[in-house]
Amino acid sequence: MLRWLQHRWTGFCLVIMALGALILFLYGFFPLKYHSGKMAHMDDLPNFIDGISIDGQQVYNSGENTVILMVIDGLRYDFVTEEYMPYTGQLLKNKSACIHVSVAEPPTVTMPRIKSPERKKEKAQWRRTINFWRDIFAMMTGSVSTFADVALNFGAPAVRGDSVLRVAAARGRRSVLYGDETWVRLFPGLWSEYDGTTSFFVTDYTEVDNNVTRHLDKILAPDEKKKPIFDFLVLHYLGLDHIGHLEGARSDKIKPKLIEMDEVVKKIFTQMQYWDRTGVLFICGDHGMRDAGGHGGATPAEVLVPLVLAKTNEFLCPHDKGPGPTVAQVDLAPSVSWLLNVPIPGDSTGRILPALLPQDTRQHLYLLHVVAQHNAKENGLPTDTEFYKQFQRAEKQFAHYLATGQQSAAKIAKEFYEESLEIMSKYLVETTVDFDMFAIGTAICLLYFIVTSLACVTLYSLQPDTNRKLSVTQHKQTSTAGLILAFFIIYSISCFILTTACFITETNSQLCSFDSVWLLALLLIACAFTMSYFLIKSSIEKIKNLSTLKDLNAIDYLLIVGTLFHAWSFLGTSFIEEEHMTWYFFWNTLMFLVLLRTIMVVVIYLSKKLSGATEVQEKPELEQKMSTVGIGIVPKWILLIALHRYLRTMNQTGDRWLFLPDTADWLNAPENKLYLQAHLVIGTLLTLAICLYNVRHMNNFMQMHSAFTVLAILAIFCYRVTSQSLESPFTDIKTWDNVTIVNIFWGLLLAQFIFEILTYIGMFRSCGVRIPNRLSSNEFVFNKPKAKTEDYFYDPCMDEPWNIAEVKLNLARSLSHIMLNDLMLIVTLLMRPHNVIMVPSVYVTCVLTSQCMDHKLLDSRSTKRTDIVDVLSRTLVHLWIGHLFFFYQGNSNSLASVDLGSGYVGLSEYCPVRVALRMGVHAYAGPAIAGAVLFCTIAESSESWHQYLQSIWRATNIFGLQRVYAITVYSVVATIFRHHLFVWSVFSPKLLYDFVATVLTIQAIGTIAQIVWLTHITSWLARLFTNKTRL
Amino acid sequence: MFSLNNQLELRRVTISSLITCVYLPSIVTVISYKGLLYSVGNASSFYILVLIFIAELLKSFYFKSVNDLQSKKSKPSKNKAGDVLKSFVFLLCVMFSFFVGIILFGAPVLDCHEETLMLSALLTLLTVFPLILHTGVETSMQLLFGVRQFGKDTIIEMLVNNALFTVCGAWLGAVVIPLDWNTPWQVWPIPCHLGAIGGYLISNVLNVLKVTLMSAAIKYPALNLLVSALNKLQISK
Repeated sequence: MLRWLQHRWTGFCLVIMALGALILFLYGFFPLKYHSGKMAHMDDLPNFIDGISIDGQQVYNSGENTVILMVIDGLRYDFVTEEYMPYTGQLLKNKSACIHVSVAEPPTVTMPRIKSPERKKEKAQWRRTINFWRDIFAMMTGSVSTFADVALNFGAPAVRGDSVLRVAAARGRRSVLYGDETWVRLFPGLWSEYDGTTSFFVTDYTEVDNNVTRHLDKILAPDEKKKPIFDFLVLHYLGLDHIGHLEGARSDKIKPKLIEMDEVVKKIFTQMQYWDRTGVLFICGDHGMRDAGGHGGATPAEVLVPLVLAKTNEFLCPHDKGPGPTVAQVDLAPSVSWLLNVPIPGDSTGRILPALLPQDTRQHLYLLHVVAQHNAKENGLPTDTEFYKQFQRAEKQFAHYLATGQQSAAKIAKEFYEESLEIMSKYLVETTVDFDMFAIGTAICLLYFIVTSLACVTLYSLQPDTNRKLSVTQHKQTSTAGLILAFFIIYSISCFILTTACFITETNSQLCSFDSVWLLALLLIACAFTMSYFLIKSSIEKIKNLSTLKDLNAIDYLLIVGTLFHAWSFLGTSFIEEEHMTWYFFWNTLMFLVLLRTIMVVVIYLSKKLSGATEVQEKPELEQKMSTVGIGIVPKWILLIALHRYLRTMNQTGDRWLFLPDTADWLNAPENKLYLQAHLVIGTLLTLAICLYNVRHMNNFMQMHSAFTVLAILAIFCYRVTSQSLESPFTDIKTWDNVTIVNIFWGLLLAQFIFEILTYIGMFRSCGVRIPNRLSSNEFVFNKPKAKTEDYFYDPCMDEPWNIAEVKLNLARSLSHIMLNDLMLIVTLLMRPHNVIMVPSVYVTCVLTSQCMDHKLLDSRSTKRTDIVDVLSRTLVHLWIGHLFFFYQGNSNSLASVDLGSGYVGLSEYCPVRVALRMGVHAYAGPAIAGAVLFCTIAESSESWHQYLQSIWRATNIFGLQRVYAITVYSVVATIFRHHLFVWSVFSPKLLYDFVATVLTIQAIGTIAQIVWLTHITSWLARLFTNKTRL
Repeated sequence: MFSLNNQLELRRVTISSLITCVYLPSIVTVISYKGLLYSVGNASSFYILVLIFIAELLKSFYFKSVNDLQSKKSKPSKNKAGDVLKSFVFLLCVMFSFFVGIILFGAPVLDCHEETLMLSALLTLLTVFPLILHTGVETSMQLLFGVRQFGKDTIIEMLVNNALFTVCGAWLGAVVIPLDWNTPWQVWPIPCHLGAIGGYLISNVLNVLKVTLMSAAIKYPALNLLVSALNKLQISK
């Protein structure tokens, strides 16, 4: 097992395993019970009850009804009394209306507070939509929504599945909406008439409601046949909630508002009585409010809401006076559907309200049967449960009643139906929102094991080289057979433990179903456990010398402690929403410490230099320290701090201060177009300069590479001109097709890469092209002999007659820089115009930071070997920079901040893979560039191929460890808070972000592995070619 | 690390720290009792700074007076007015650099200048001002830039330690700002303001505690453990 520990890419494998564990966790956390998307149809109504035929459509018919749904935001249960709403109270008293208690799911997000500029309306709108999503979704589709419903169609949230409105529209019913615009967004195209009001101003609590009420007279007036001109009317009043937010439930304004609502009820109800049709009015709230104002908790005052049902035509409420029975929000959908004489929506899990059920026994039983059968057909409902059998018994009794007409059978059937329906609805709701705790637990355990073994591997790799070599030689003689045996013993033990756990917990998790696929997953999990066990075991035995860690200075400790602490800060929801604050805070502390340290070094240096050569011994050392950076480092560093202060103001992010105006708003204003273009041009040109500067690491065809880079930048400029973000004197460019431009851009990048590889292989040499011999330092050709071996020509059997290692290092350097250049160019292409400036900023920050954080410069006592601690601190600081720029760029942990526009750069039609790739690169541009710079710096600063490989090994291990550590801690946090109110709006999006970050980390480490692999392949190919030409 | 050699200095350190421990909490208590605690950032609460200024001045007189008695070779201060002017200019410079620093590290750029200025004034008062009063401009500059180590001077050590605690307190105060508790004190710069005062206070309390423990440790050696633990807390090294 030692060989695993020493292997360079063990860390990589562990990160991949961690991704697998994370996927398992996500599987448990987001139940994958998608709504089936089944569309209901009238023909679905059963025509046979246990073999006895019945005319379904005729029995189902509820007559001609007109339904009005009046949603009053923030209507609390105790508001519906005679004291607050006299008319409604009167209706309830004389039993022409029924009141029910309904338990609302509390909404997730509070209202935005401050007036926002136009650019941010979209984000705010998204949050508002999610805010109402659960309630509207439950009321209109009859099913509880899951996070997958929200996450899978962010950007344009609309209900894709079946809903009351869909079936009503399919049957030609006229639906009308007056009220909040969210309804229109969720059900586009299903309204025959609507007037959506948007309100971002909580202070407005009269206008929003007047906008709704002003239509009432017109819409309620019947036509000449005394029929109303609509079938289904939705009214959504927001004013009450706004008052609640502003002043609380004890406010003086509450009472007039409720009386206003009561007037509306009176108006509707009196008008309904003139109609030649039965009118049904539902009044409900979507959530309550606290006495102190606001909502979002789970106290009864916030969760209990009334559902009032009023009906014309001699309706008498069957329930006793009092609080009324408890119903669920999902019950509205089947009730409204039945009243409109349309089928029950496909995914509905609710029941028809008992008060609505008709007196006629046949129809009553038939309706119960329809709902029960509908629910029983839902996906995943087990047929061997008691409630299903109860349903079958009820069906038999119903058939018996139909055949014989016995009232006793009808009575039994009714009882059975109700019993089975109650449990069935509960079961369906629970399975939709339930977590698979077994999978979650297993995944967390596995992640914990993986993170421990990864930490062990990282610590092992941080040992100085010499000691490890010693330990290698000591343990060379271990038998392979013994190892395999040990592996299998542990493997079977972990399999056994997992299986036992399955049976002990009696879980109904899919993981324990022992199906073919799941069995494989289980075996893989056991395998992962075994591998991490062996890794931990052997590294505990082998880690002997961690003396390098003694060289850490205060800044390194800040980096390590900050990284460790950051993962735990997510225990507070605000720290997830405002994660950028944590990073800004850490980064400022770091910059401050580095500033102090550099000032100290420079002042000491200057004072010693000015005071003359009194301390002769210290001087050369100091000179050597300063020679790499110079005195200019202090002003440079201060300028960097100023630059970061500027970048911070570029994009407001997070949640609380999202609405403050920022520099991006200012730049995007039409009158400041010039400044925006200046930003764009400066950013792109700086990128060009950096790329050209990096070209020096490439092969001796520098002018070719420069040409490629300049052409790529030109392509970017052309793209900007065609996409209207840049004005140019050449008006022709505007007419060019930007898809072609972007394709040319890709082609240029690819050509550059292939060209580089080919020159290394020596392809051009074999074609007879002479390489102009300009700079001998840039000459990376294979026929340069090794310095020591002089008689290589006479010894063809010698392993490597040429400077293979050096060439490999050079190739790795040049490939890393090509990777960095390409990445920067791609990001420059994808970024929003105002953000282009970020690209050179990341590079400058990374370079300056790695200069300043050099241990030789900062530490007073200088140890000889600092490269290991240098790698450690550099890796961590680049990770920090990556996170920092992730937030500078305007990202946050909310799905609303995903920039969809960047996904379509240079694409003419939608292609999921390409769009997703572009969006991923755009969102994670900061971390990606910072990582690329890190690996370039490592390649640049290592002196030999061996040292390069060692540094890469350490860096990738630390890179992976940070990621896996973060997801492990976060999965624990998410599990603790799985019932938290913000689980949808805060915790779950962050999980998705973490998932993407893990995938991209794997991709990053994979790229480094590919580079190393490519160098091997290339040198092999080159040996082939050069041998051939020589012989 | 304080040394027990100079009893007189230790006594002075203790007494001055005790004075601080009394006057700062009383100022804060009075303000909060008056309901003015959340206005500390405004210019209207300038009187607090004046109070602190006077208190620190008195403390330094106390240091100086004992100093004179002891050493009896007080330098003839020829250009006292020049000294005062110089230190005033120096203080202004420090305050300005605090101001710029705070803005660079995240304070609002375009507005809230008044609040930021008040915070930087407070920080200057609590950190550099006592140092200047005690040692003069040149020495404190050297101390600030790390050129001179403060060797065995207990008082200077205490002052530098106080300064570091103050800055750390202000720094840590910023942690609560992003939390969504929606309390009235989560507004810039109140947490930092109170954090700075708190840091200064804690530092002084620790000083008193340490001196007391050190004296007690002579009798009960078991307490040495606590003393060394307290010494570890010291940031200035």
